[in-house]
Amino acid sequence: MISHRDNNTQRIAALDERAEALKLKRGMGIADARAMHPSIDVVEADPEADRRLLEGLADWCDRYTPLVAIDAGDGLFLDVTGCTHLFGGERAMQDEILTRFFQQGFDVRAGLASTPGAAWAAARFHGNRIVAGGEEEALLAPLPLSALRIAPETRASLESVGLRTAGAVMAAPRAPLARRFGAALLLRLDQALGRLDEAVSPRLPVAPLSVERHLAEPVTLTDDIERLISRLAVALKADLERRGEGARTLALLLFRVDGAVSRIAVGTSRPLREPRLIQKLFHERLTALEQNIDAGFGFDLVRLSVLSVAAFDLTQGDLTGEADDDDADIALFADRVRARLGEAAVLKPVVVESHLPERAVKTVPFAEAPQRRAPAAGRTAPPRTAPPMTIYPPERPVRLFRSPEPIEVPATEIPEGPPMNFRWRRALYRVARAEGPERIAAEWWRRLPGEEEAPTRDYYRIEDSEGRRYWLYRQGLYGGAPEAAPPRWYMHGVFA
Amino acid sequence: MLPEVNVMAMSAVARDTVFALRRQIAKIEGTLPERLQAPAPGAPIHATGSGMTPDMTIIRRGLAVAAADAFLHTGIERLDTALGGGLPKAALSEIHGLETRDAGTVAGFALSLVSLILKERQGQPILWVGTAEIFHEAGLPYARGLSALFGIEPEQLLFSEAPKLLDALWIAEEAARMTAFAAVILEIRGSPQRLDLTATRRLHARAQSANRPVLLLRQAGEADPTAAPVRLIVSAAPAASRETVAGPLAGSIGHPAFKVDIGKSRTALPGQFTLEWNPDEHAFAERTENSVAVVPASQRGADPAPASGAVLAFPALASSAIGDQPSRQQHPAHRGPRRAG
Repeated sequence: MISHRDNNTQRIAALDERAEALKLKRGMGIADARAMHPSIDVVEADPEADRRLLEGLADWCDRYTPLVAIDAGDGLFLDVTGCTHLFGGERAMQDEILTRFFQQGFDVRAGLASTPGAAWAAARFHGNRIVAGGEEEALLAPLPLSALRIAPETRASLESVGLRTAGAVMAAPRAPLARRFGAALLLRLDQALGRLDEAVSPRLPVAPLSVERHLAEPVTLTDDIERLISRLAVALKADLERRGEGARTLALLLFRVDGAVSRIAVGTSRPLREPRLIQKLFHERLTALEQNIDAGFGFDLVRLSVLSVAAFDLTQGDLTGEADDDDADIALFADRVRARLGEAAVLKPVVVESHLPERAVKTVPFAEAPQRRAPAAGRTAPPRTAPPMTIYPPERPVRLFRSPEPIEVPATEIPEGPPMNFRWRRALYRVARAEGPERIAAEWWRRLPGEEEAPTRDYYRIEDSEGRRYWLYRQGLYGGAPEAAPPRWYMHGVFA
Repeated sequence: MLPEVNVMAMSAVARDTVFALRRQIAKIEGTLPERLQAPAPGAPIHATGSGMTPDMTIIRRGLAVAAADAFLHTGIERLDTALGGGLPKAALSEIHGLETRDAGTVAGFALSLVSLILKERQGQPILWVGTAEIFHEAGLPYARGLSALFGIEPEQLLFSEAPKLLDALWIAEEAARMTAFAAVILEIRGSPQRLDLTATRRLHARAQSANRPVLLLRQAGEADPTAAPVRLIVSAAPAASRETVAGPLAGSIGHPAFKVDIGKSRTALPGQFTLEWNPDEHAFAERTENSVAVVPASQRGADPAPASGAVLAFPALASSAIGDQPSRQQHPAHRGPRRAG
């Protein structure tokens, strides 16, 4: 028996058959129940866990239809339109669902109707009934008002005027009903009777394309799964070709025998439809996830879905049949690395207009970086005409530290000059030569109002006594306001 | 070590045939292309020693004849000669830095090699694979600096940051077998156990089959056994002063300079070179004098000429071509056990 706190009272939220046999009811106070039967076992309700369980069940129900919605805290809507024939008709499908749930230890009621409202009522008030189209009215008429999915207050006021069944409400004139009880009542009624469409909002976006394979014998080995993927990808290819599209995001759904569902997604940086490549991507992903996928007693349904698509540009191969498309190779390589090591495993530098060295180059994940434009064959790009340079661009280091590292500078030759020696990572360096300073001020136009202006930096190129070249900077100036912090020195990069 | 066969003088046609056949045999046997050059058909003929004819070629067992274009010429004749023709293009090459703080120098040297490679493969991307550790310790290559110094545009660059060494090796292996990259750079810090002979052999084999260079940068690593045919040890050298119209500018820092030791090479004894990278011409120049060079590179054409003509693969003979090494007093730090490998 499960209790929950409602208006400062512990009440029974749910109870099992044996508790029901003791004439206990939902909504009864725990104190009363304990007084009647002191030996009852009461457990605190855990809505979070219930929700998780329901999500898990919804995942599992994905095997019947991609349109699964969670209904309140205790129900699932499955839009099986067009799916029933795959399972041998409505009756067979419902039976299978119920059998499977029963085997997993759930006591489930199901109702199948042409409207969500009627199915809801059928599941809750009849149990395992299949309502043919047009029978909704007959189904609903004898049922109590709670079958209409209306707010408890509306129900109470309807009951207070003597309308106790759905049939009575249907028979009553509509205009006064709407005036007195609000439009929601008639909306629910019309939806249940199929006069108005009701959309079931699925919890997951519906994949444009999916192929799946039911397995008589569950598979556990990764190799077998990969083999299945390539078979499914072959089937997928035909569909993608028909649509003239390629997959950008693919998801693999593995339905375990005991109901757990693993969802594995891979992204591609360019539209893909080649089964071999799809299989390769999943190979990397599965290798990376090897420890995280628990095959348990095996997977009995494997589904490959295309979650997002993009137009697929056809390219003419040359007659030798070995058109080496380097960009495509690199994109595939990057996808494979990403599939295995995560989104940030392949980075591309993008030059940004900025004076600040750390902002002037941004490294972005490969998939988000602008694609290199393939040079058109036979036409060479005009050489970049640089403006005549009278001032040489300032030299930049070959490596830049992620964040500038503080260094100790005991003394500088002149107050604003380069250091004579410095201590970096606990080693002392003697400065042999120095160039600079190059003054880089903070970008005031980026400063947020109220934010303090960052001090300017004076950059120096330094060569130490052993010939290594560094890029140091001093933040702040000497001889500023007495309360201002003294300037600090940082190591920002190294030159070749 | 040196079972050798002398192929005595024969007609040019016959020689070509023999070399073609040898290459074929080597291909069938799957052996390493070695640094035994096919003498160019029009090679100048002069005797390099008593009793040796210019047509003489030395074949080591199991080694095949490499095509002349299998090497990346550094442009420094002395270094190319010492390496037996240059840096092998389709191979793994190791570039070591003795300490992590040399990372900038090592990266600079590797990138100048890449820049030379890119002269032939213009516009092709390069991939830089590193562990998160090295990118954190030594900084990420900075695209703005690379384009000015080495002519490598930001859009040509691709970085891959691997959380662990094994992942980095996997990425590098996958990339090394692709022909889309002009070069793959793998950067590792320290001497991890996983980076053993097997791992380097795998990288080397992939580089060979894809015909692309793989540069393995080892920061602060030991001279572990490696399958790479060449290991260079790079350290910083003081840069020359900047050139101005009025002569060198005192106290300024000019073109980057590298001190390169040959740590391992199948044909050369260890030797040391001081190279200067010219970012304008994208070419190396050698600095022969040990003091800071003040003469512009373009005026200093006359490097000590090595023996021209057919190059012999004898280490003992090749060492004579290396010649004038810097005196040890000036480079006490590099007296260490550099010959291992």
